[in-house]
Amino acid sequence: MKMLLKRGFNWLDSLFSKAFTPAWNPMYQLGALSFFYFWIVAVTGVYLFIFFETSISGAHDSMEYISVEQWYLGGIMRSFHRYASAAMGICATLHLVREYTMDRYSGVRWFSWVSGVPLLWLLFASAIGGYWLVWDIQAQYIAVMTAEWFDWLPIMVDPMASNFLNESTLSDRFFSLLVFLHIGIPLTLLLGMFIHIKRITGARTNPAKGLAAGTALAMLILSLWQPALSQAPANLDVAVTEVGLDWIFLNPYPLISRWGPGQTWAFLVGLSTLLTIVPWLPSKRLQQAPVAVVDPDNCNGCGWCLADCPYEAVSMKEHDYKKGHQQSVVDPNLCISCGICAGACPSSSPFRHVDELTTGISIPGFHIKELLSLTEKKLAELSTDAPRIMLYGCDHGSVTGELATDSIASISMPCTALVPPAFIDYVLRKDLAEGVMISGCCEGDCHYRLGNEWMDQSFAQERMPILRARVPRDKVRLRWLGVQGTKQLGREVAQFQAQLREDESLDVVPDIVPEIVEVSNG
Amino acid sequence: MDKALRYLGQALLYTLFFVPLAYITHEPELRHLEEGMAVLKVAVRHAGEVIGECKPIEGKGFGMRPADMARPEVCPRERSPLQLELRIDGKTLYRETVPAPGLHNDGVSSMHRRFNVPAGSHNIQLLMNDDVAVEGYNWQLDQDIQLQPAQVMVARFKEGFNLQ
Repeated sequence: MKMLLKRGFNWLDSLFSKAFTPAWNPMYQLGALSFFYFWIVAVTGVYLFIFFETSISGAHDSMEYISVEQWYLGGIMRSFHRYASAAMGICATLHLVREYTMDRYSGVRWFSWVSGVPLLWLLFASAIGGYWLVWDIQAQYIAVMTAEWFDWLPIMVDPMASNFLNESTLSDRFFSLLVFLHIGIPLTLLLGMFIHIKRITGARTNPAKGLAAGTALAMLILSLWQPALSQAPANLDVAVTEVGLDWIFLNPYPLISRWGPGQTWAFLVGLSTLLTIVPWLPSKRLQQAPVAVVDPDNCNGCGWCLADCPYEAVSMKEHDYKKGHQQSVVDPNLCISCGICAGACPSSSPFRHVDELTTGISIPGFHIKELLSLTEKKLAELSTDAPRIMLYGCDHGSVTGELATDSIASISMPCTALVPPAFIDYVLRKDLAEGVMISGCCEGDCHYRLGNEWMDQSFAQERMPILRARVPRDKVRLRWLGVQGTKQLGREVAQFQAQLREDESLDVVPDIVPEIVEVSNG
Repeated sequence: MDKALRYLGQALLYTLFFVPLAYITHEPELRHLEEGMAVLKVAVRHAGEVIGECKPIEGKGFGMRPADMARPEVCPRERSPLQLELRIDGKTLYRETVPAPGLHNDGVSSMHRRFNVPAGSHNIQLLMNDDVAVEGYNWQLDQDIQLQPAQVMVARFKEGFNLQ
C-alpha cells in the first residue's frame, strides 16, 4: 500500500515539477500552501464579518446581499473564503498522507506528526461552523445532525437538539455564539499550526511567490465562474429532504445518518487515536541511526552546525574547558541523525594537518574519517582508463549503488549534505578521480528538509563552508533527481563521463604557445 | 520545457485541481429524508416527582436545626425518572426511562428524539410516568394527526403534552 502511494506521489512530483519547476512544485509545499490558504480565509473572513448579521432572519439575507448585490467584491471574497478553506482541507490531508508515505513521521518527527492530528479536527470544526452561519438548508441539516451527534455524549445534560425543534425554539443569541466559535476555533487552529512547526528550523510557511500568485489567480477565475452561493433559507418547520453537501468538510454527516452517533464517534475518535500513535507502531521503515556527537577538542564554537541543523537539535554552550569559547551541544531528543552538521563542520576538512581526521561533530555510524577512507578505498579499486567519477548519493534519493561500475565509485549516506565541500576539493586535487557528482532527493523535497539547499548554497559560495573557487566547476555536478530519477541520473553520469573524456582529450593536445610580438613604443 | 508550454501545463493542473474542488463543495446532493416522509420530534424537559415525603425533625435534631429554618422537616432530593413511550397507530416506536441528572438524581430530566414517519393520517399516543409512586402512565396524549410530506411536527411537554 505504502509502495503504491510512494509511486503515486513520485509520479505526481515529476508531473508537477515539469509544469511548475521544482521551485514552484505544489507537492513540495503542501504545508506552506495550507498556511497560505488559511491567511486567505482569515482576510476574507474579516471582510464578510463586517456585513454579516447575527440573527435568524439577518444571517441568510446578509449573505445573499454580499453574494448578489456586492458580487464584484463581497461575492468574490465569499468565494475565496469557501474555496480557500476547501483547498486548505485538501492540501492538509495530502500533506498528512505524503509525510506518512515518505516516512517523515516517526522518530524525532513525532512531534510535528502528533501536533498535526488535532489540527484536522480544528480545521473541520472551523469549516462546519462557517457553513452553519449561512443558515440555509445545508446549515439546518448541519445544525440538527450536529446537535443529535453531540447529544449522544454523556456530558450533555440538556439536549442541544431542543434548540432546533422548530422555528419557535431558535434564538438570535445562538448566532452570536456561532460567530464567537467561528472566530475562536480558527484562532486556536492558527496557534496549533505554529506549535506544529515549532521544532523545525526555518519552517516554510509561505509558498513560492509564483505558486501563490498562480493559485490566487486560479481562485479568482473560479470565483467569477462558479461563485459560492447559499442554498434556500433554513426553515425548521420543514424537514430537509435533499441537500447539496460540501463533501470535503461535511463527509462525517452521512456517516452519522448511516451508522448513528455512537459508531461515528467511535470511528472518528478511533481513527484520530490511530493516527496519533502511528509514529510508534512497528513498521519496516529504516531505524534511526545514533545521534550526532560533539568532540569538544575539535569544536571551535563556530556555530555552522547550529545554523545548518534542520530540526533545531544543535545549540551552543560555554566550552567544557576552553575559557571564553563556545561549543556545540546536541539534543538527542531532536537529532534526526542526518549528518548535515558533520558536513557543515570546518574541522571536517581532509586537508587538515592531523594524523587522523577528526571533526567537531559527527554521526557515529558515518564518521567523516570513515567517509574519507571509504572514498579513498572505493576510488583506489577503480581499474579503467575511462575518467573516474566519485558519485555521492543519499539513501532517500536516486539509487546510486546501481550506477557503480569499474570507473564510477559510489557511496550512499543518510544525506549528501554530510559531504563537506572540502572533500570534493580533496578528491580532485589529489587526482583520486576526474570528476565528482553529488545526487540526492528531488530538488525542493529533501528528506531532511534542507540538505539540497545547503549544498547548493555552499557550491555557490553563499553559505559556509564554501566549495573553494579553485575547484573546477566543470568537474563537479550536483543533481537533485530523487528516487524516480535514478535512470536519468545514470544517463547524466554517462554524459558527465563523456564530457570529462572530451576534456581529457583536449588536455593532451600540445599547448600552442602564442607567438609573442614585442611592440616598440618608439 | 518551453516556458509557454509550462504555463499551459500549470493552467491545466490548476483546472484539474479547482474544478473538481468547486464541484464537491456542493454536489452531489444528499437525500436526507425519503420522499413521502415527515418528521416527528419528541422533546421533554420535565422534573419528575420527588421520591419519598418530607419528615418532621424530632427529638435531638429539632434543637440542632438552624434558627431561620421555616419548617422543621427534612425533605428527600431524589426525583423520579421519566418513563416515556411513543405509539403510532398502536405500534410502539419508542420506550425509554430517562433518569434525573445530578449526583443526587435531583435535576430536571430531558430528552429529545427524532422519528421519520410516513406522511398521512396517524394516531399518536404519547405516554409518560413521572412518579414512581404511581402505577402506569400518569400523563398521556392520544390524538389523530395529519402529516404532510417533509412536515416537522413537534411534541413537547409543558403541564401536559402538546403538539406543534
